[in-house]
Amino acid sequence: MGGTWLLWFIPLLPLFGAAACGLIHFATLAARKHDANAKGPSGLAPVVACAAILGSLLLSIAAFKQLAGLAADARVIESAVWPWIHVGSLQLDISLVVDPLSAVMLMVVTGVGFLIHVYSAGYMKGDPGYAKFFAFLNLFVFSMLMLVLSSSLIGLFVGWEGVGLCSYLLIGFWYEKGWPAEAGQKAFIFNRVGDASFLIGSFILIKLFGTLDLSDINTAVASVSADPANAWWLTIAALCLFGGCTGKSAQIPLFTWLPDAMAGPTPVSALIHAATMVTAGVYLVVRMNPVFAFDPTVLTVIGTIGALTALVGGTSAIFQRDIKKVLAYSTVSQLGYMFLGLGSGAFAAAIFHLVTHAFFKGLLFLGAGSVIHGMHDEQDMHKMGGLRRHMPKTFVTFMAGAAALSGLPLLSGFFSKDEILAHTFAHGGFYFVLWGIGIVTAAVTAYYTWRMVALTFFGKERFDHHHVHPHESPALMWVPLAVLAVLSVLGGALGLPPVFHVVHVLEHWLEPVTAPGHALLAANGTHELSHAMEWALLGLGAAIALGFAHFGFRTYVKGVEQDESVQRNRPALADFLVGAWKIDAQYYAKIVYPSKLVAFVTAVIVDQFAIDGLVNGAGGLATATGNRLKLLVDGSLKSYALWIGAGAVLLALLWMFV
Amino acid sequence: MAEILFYVLSAAALLFGLGVVLAKSPMMSVLSLLGSFFCLAIIYLLAGFQFLAAAQILVYAGAILVLFLFVIMLLNLGEMGAIAERSNSFLDSTSARIGAVIAVGMGVVGLAAASRAAFQPVRVEPGTGLDGLEAIATELFGRYSLAFEAASILLLATIVAVIALAKRQRRGLKDGGRA
Amino acid sequence: MNVPSEHLLFLAAGLFAIGVLGFLIRRNVIIVLMCIELMLNAANLTFLAASRQHSTAQVANLDGAVFSIFVILVAACEAAVGLALIIALFRLKQTVEADSLSEMKG
Repeated sequence: MGGTWLLWFIPLLPLFGAAACGLIHFATLAARKHDANAKGPSGLAPVVACAAILGSLLLSIAAFKQLAGLAADARVIESAVWPWIHVGSLQLDISLVVDPLSAVMLMVVTGVGFLIHVYSAGYMKGDPGYAKFFAFLNLFVFSMLMLVLSSSLIGLFVGWEGVGLCSYLLIGFWYEKGWPAEAGQKAFIFNRVGDASFLIGSFILIKLFGTLDLSDINTAVASVSADPANAWWLTIAALCLFGGCTGKSAQIPLFTWLPDAMAGPTPVSALIHAATMVTAGVYLVVRMNPVFAFDPTVLTVIGTIGALTALVGGTSAIFQRDIKKVLAYSTVSQLGYMFLGLGSGAFAAAIFHLVTHAFFKGLLFLGAGSVIHGMHDEQDMHKMGGLRRHMPKTFVTFMAGAAALSGLPLLSGFFSKDEILAHTFAHGGFYFVLWGIGIVTAAVTAYYTWRMVALTFFGKERFDHHHVHPHESPALMWVPLAVLAVLSVLGGALGLPPVFHVVHVLEHWLEPVTAPGHALLAANGTHELSHAMEWALLGLGAAIALGFAHFGFRTYVKGVEQDESVQRNRPALADFLVGAWKIDAQYYAKIVYPSKLVAFVTAVIVDQFAIDGLVNGAGGLATATGNRLKLLVDGSLKSYALWIGAGAVLLALLWMFV
Repeated sequence: MAEILFYVLSAAALLFGLGVVLAKSPMMSVLSLLGSFFCLAIIYLLAGFQFLAAAQILVYAGAILVLFLFVIMLLNLGEMGAIAERSNSFLDSTSARIGAVIAVGMGVVGLAAASRAAFQPVRVEPGTGLDGLEAIATELFGRYSLAFEAASILLLATIVAVIALAKRQRRGLKDGGRA
Repeated sequence: MNVPSEHLLFLAAGLFAIGVLGFLIRRNVIIVLMCIELMLNAANLTFLAASRQHSTAQVANLDGAVFSIFVILVAACEAAVGLALIIALFRLKQTVEADSLSEMKG
């Protein structure tokens, strides 16, 4: 990185790519005017889009290298400043900054993003909106990079909204079908609720500190404790910001949009709804860790919400038949883990899990996409089975992802999840309960993951052989899978637990960012686990993962009988879990339908009857009056003169006597 | 003396006015109007407005009423107009009766309004004109010069309008001059 | 002349009422036009009465007089245009009856 202005190119390259793909899309549309099946120049779109992301990736690596070359406490690269809003005392600038945390996020976003772009080139081939898809995807990467790189909360919010917009556009990508459009709206509305909370939090921060610059805020937090009122406001601000995170990162109570978001193309689910966007909340909390660590209550709230979300998400995945729904609820659950880690003050562990999750969940989604692709758009696992013979490459990589997700020993998910649980356990007190929930969820996770693998790749072939001919996906799709599989397997090396007597690479790397938060937490006492205890926890985690993975696999490798028996014998339980603890149903019953009723009443009774009645009545009155009055206007000069005269007399009388 | 003259002239002006309204032939109306204007001109003189009295005679009697006479003669309405209207009564139609009521009402309102005013008494001797030529010229070319110039434009516009309205259409000539 | 201004106004009111009467009851458009002249004269009289009322022995107030001059001017224009209209009307309809003018139906 020569000059700091080069930093701007990391987000701008995808933006240019998005613009170029948009133009290509319009050119394609123009070509289709003459020939409905014309491809036009749409074949260029993936090349442009992938090149843009590749450029970003290379620049990110360069930035990463430069950052690594600096001294640990000076690892910050700032870009040129763009003055944005200067009103009175409020100065809002947009500038980019790379520090260890954003460098990690950069690598994830551009790295996984690049792989998913490549995969999309194969997956979306032949879609009428091929170029449009890449335009949206590039725009998403731009927004995500702005979110990650921005040096101020307002710039972060711009990216935050940008990813929300792209998420909406991509969920509803196949809007012609109807329900994807509705799912997109649902996601957008849920995010709005969170974003309102986010904004309120930002306003409080402006009120408290007079700035939205993230590093300024983080340093200013230390000075707040003097004033109890300010401390109270800071707690409220942190909770409001966390409210924004619950929307974006699909936590209780705002998580129900994420399963519906599976209506979008599968690469979208992998990129946005597993690897990057939904982790924005985790990033925000780590980025502003002093604000959240300031009041331990806030962290407890975050941890509790995270643990509950993990449990609800995990259990909801158990009986899903749609392979993407399983992964969606799994994502909700894993995000819950990350927030549990944040709630325990384990910021580095949460980021560690974020990274490994990006690898293995991206991989699983892409693998599921490959399966869906090979099965001619079939997503119901009950109609799959035995696919390992038909798509071996997908099978192998999917196995790697599943193993990582379920936390089988020595894979990436094992280390990251275990680290979070270890930190939670170390906290003690109320956190024992959260740890218990985490352990239960770990068991559930292993179970549903291997159920999914068994149903999809093992057992009898339950699909109709006359109509469905499963086939392996092209190299464009399985090569990214292979890369992600390698990362999923080896990703654990980033954060080996202390018992291995090696440096926790990620924790060490993030130390400059997380130090202020840790310093605040240290005031409430530190928590250290003995090596024996850590070994015990690792062993417990490994045993639970292996045991329940085996249990889930054994149960479902035979076929779908278990699902059917549960459905038969315990229909209420199955309904409850498939419906995600009926939370969405409650939303519909308590909020959506009453709102629709109010809207209907307003539309039909208030608007059509009362307001339209008034308006039409006014018009009708004027018309009726006019119809009567026009009889007076007989066109005779004399009668006009008479009226004028009478009016003049009346006016004169009025002036004289009134 | 002047006061008596004023009341006599007032009565005459009103009577001539009624004559305008009630005369059967348009020619008689014009002549009555002429009488009414003369009476008014002398009242102006008595009130001290010498220039206005002269203008009243010159413009109204000399120009406008002659114009009326020309038109009546041009259209040969001297007798026809009288025949067209029912000569015995103008008040036979409802609208005419309403019109009469309105006119009376307007007169009553005007009288009432005038009687409610409480003016200081003024006294202007005959011959002591208020509007000496110099004074009125100072006003017209001074404070009112803009209005005065605008009036010239109004006159010009009137001339154009009158020519446009009154001149025979070309096609009319070809038709054999139907007008 | 030592007549109170009220009496000038009485005369003006009477003339105006007569003008209105003629305007409303006569059907001959030429006479209607003459009645308008009568009303304009009544208005002139009120202007002059006001001018006279507001003059002192030393200073003459000529605003009313100037207004009268303008009224006479407008009356002349109005009469000219009105008579031209009557001529045009007569060419069109061979009559000067106001009742024949019913083209202005709304």
